[in-house]
Amino acid sequence: MEFLAFITPLFLSLVVAGTLVGIVFGAIPGMTATMAVAVCLPLTYPLGLENGLALLLGLYVGGISGGLVPAILLNIPGTPSSITTTFDGYPMTQRGEGERALKIGIVSSLVGGLVSLGILFLFAPVLADFAIRFSYVEKFLIILFALSVMGALSNNMLIGVFSGFLGIFISLIGTYDISDGGNGKHRLIPPGLEYWLESGFSLLPVLIALFGLTAILYEAEIGIPRGLSRDQVKIGDSSRFSFSVFRGQIVNLIRSSGIGTFVGILPGVGGSAASILSYTSAKTFSKHPERFGKGEPAGIIASESGNNGLTGGALVPLLSLGIPGDSTTALLIGAFTLQGIQVGPLFIGNNPDTWNAMIFAMMIANVAMFVMMFFAIRYVALIVTVPKHILFPVILMMCVIGAYTINYGIMFDVWTLAIFGLFGWIALHMRIEIAPFIIGFILGPSAEVYFVKSIESFGDLSVFVTKSWIAVVLWVLIIGSIAMSALISRMARDSRESLAAGASDPV
Amino acid sequence: MGDLTKVTVDFETSHLVFPTIIACVLTLLGIVIVIRDRRRIAASGTYWAEVLGKMDKVRFFGTIALTLVYFSLMVPVGNIWPNTGMGFLLCSIPFVFLSGVLFLHDRDIRSILTIGVVAVVSPTLVWWLFTDLFFLTLP
Repeated sequence: MEFLAFITPLFLSLVVAGTLVGIVFGAIPGMTATMAVAVCLPLTYPLGLENGLALLLGLYVGGISGGLVPAILLNIPGTPSSITTTFDGYPMTQRGEGERALKIGIVSSLVGGLVSLGILFLFAPVLADFAIRFSYVEKFLIILFALSVMGALSNNMLIGVFSGFLGIFISLIGTYDISDGGNGKHRLIPPGLEYWLESGFSLLPVLIALFGLTAILYEAEIGIPRGLSRDQVKIGDSSRFSFSVFRGQIVNLIRSSGIGTFVGILPGVGGSAASILSYTSAKTFSKHPERFGKGEPAGIIASESGNNGLTGGALVPLLSLGIPGDSTTALLIGAFTLQGIQVGPLFIGNNPDTWNAMIFAMMIANVAMFVMMFFAIRYVALIVTVPKHILFPVILMMCVIGAYTINYGIMFDVWTLAIFGLFGWIALHMRIEIAPFIIGFILGPSAEVYFVKSIESFGDLSVFVTKSWIAVVLWVLIIGSIAMSALISRMARDSRESLAAGASDPV
Repeated sequence: MGDLTKVTVDFETSHLVFPTIIACVLTLLGIVIVIRDRRRIAASGTYWAEVLGKMDKVRFFGTIALTLVYFSLMVPVGNIWPNTGMGFLLCSIPFVFLSGVLFLHDRDIRSILTIGVVAVVSPTLVWWLFTDLFFLTLP
């Protein structure tokens, strides 16, 4: 069993520890899976790729799953992706069925995670094999496609696209790198900052800032909401969980997991879209749509299997095309870069061990999440009472460590943290969307090389259409995605509005 | 498509091609957004005034000020004992303590003591982990 050589006690304990810490981050409102990954990234430097990924994937799965705890018990989504879990979870808690609701959510999370993992395992290598044939022209169009999808699926299409292009623009600050075939000249550097910005802003400090510092600044703005006391967490004694609740829900489970995975595959689309779409479709196909929003288990099933479906889905474009599916996987790109590995179509073929390790780590993480949460749910529920005045200072300190050590001790990276932390807070208020911004920032430099080199070698703009049939298909996809996703976002918005109206309905 | 689509890129100025295109797209999108959302943009002054009015100013600006002082002091302090990571350790302890107290709502002795313990233990632990175990440079 040589191919399982990566499974060491360290590997397993990192997955489990990551999942546990992830659940803590997910369960505390205001802290997210992305933050967990950002804060723990520096711990992976000395670990090596497989072990580092084990920790980060555990954090990812745990972080997405932990959000259901406050959603169900307190009507506060722990992460944005568990918004729809509150609709039916909280009414169940009010009826004294908190434990039952939590366990339904946990089982659904497990199914969602495993289904999407299966899709990842089968689909990513196929897509990667296909993408190996892409030349610079197709690669550029793929990035354009990713940008069009994420723009169209953000809350506001124009601002989403704007945010994406802003990310590209900022990523171009620095030198047009000779190693990418550029001429080594500086551009867009404000006068006087040439020394610091010669190679632009580093990716990881920017990511850590936008997902760590910005979140803490936002919480500080609203006065660091008090932690909850133990008396407020009512899990309910009278509720009994039995797997019979899933009878007749198999279709719902599979459909929601599938929707979650599909939304995850689309770049730049967050978890809330996954759970909202699965919730809406479960309601549409249900025989008792009127029960939704009043404590219907099927609602929790749809929401939680949908948002855990994201985890596998978001890794598909990352591992086959090098395009992150969401902000957490964008941070994973950072982890790969740290270890000197380029993610793209060649990744799976060239690094079969890492690929196996990732699949295995995700599987263990899902099982660990299930075991920890299902059997210790009464203790896990107390996580929501952990005081933030203790956690946030430590998180800020970890952000500094992460930024400073990323390029082996450059203080400017710490200042980058400060600059982008503030930028993120301002952007939040200006409704600039962070996810498209980040994906633009990550893909900007590659987009430039693919675009400029294509023109340099062909000397003709029409090559972007005439290069191959793949290019034509990609254009059709780009145009189709704008049309389709505008439609989807309208549907999601409508249902969000009607859900919000329904949730606030006193009946 | 004829000659219309023909372009040549001068290698000497090729570093400006893509930034220029992106800048044009950004400007174009910006203009469209300004036209579409002109009412909201006109009202942005009131919006920011409202944000500033509603915010917890002590905690928000306190966090920013503490963070900036923390970042600024790390290197000078670290230079007193070069390559030991002392700058990080000696600045983190007061930073974690002060920001913990800043974030705390009911400042009783017990909570402040807890923060004090966390402020000493967690930076020390992280410092030991990174310098002794991982051999990474800290300021």
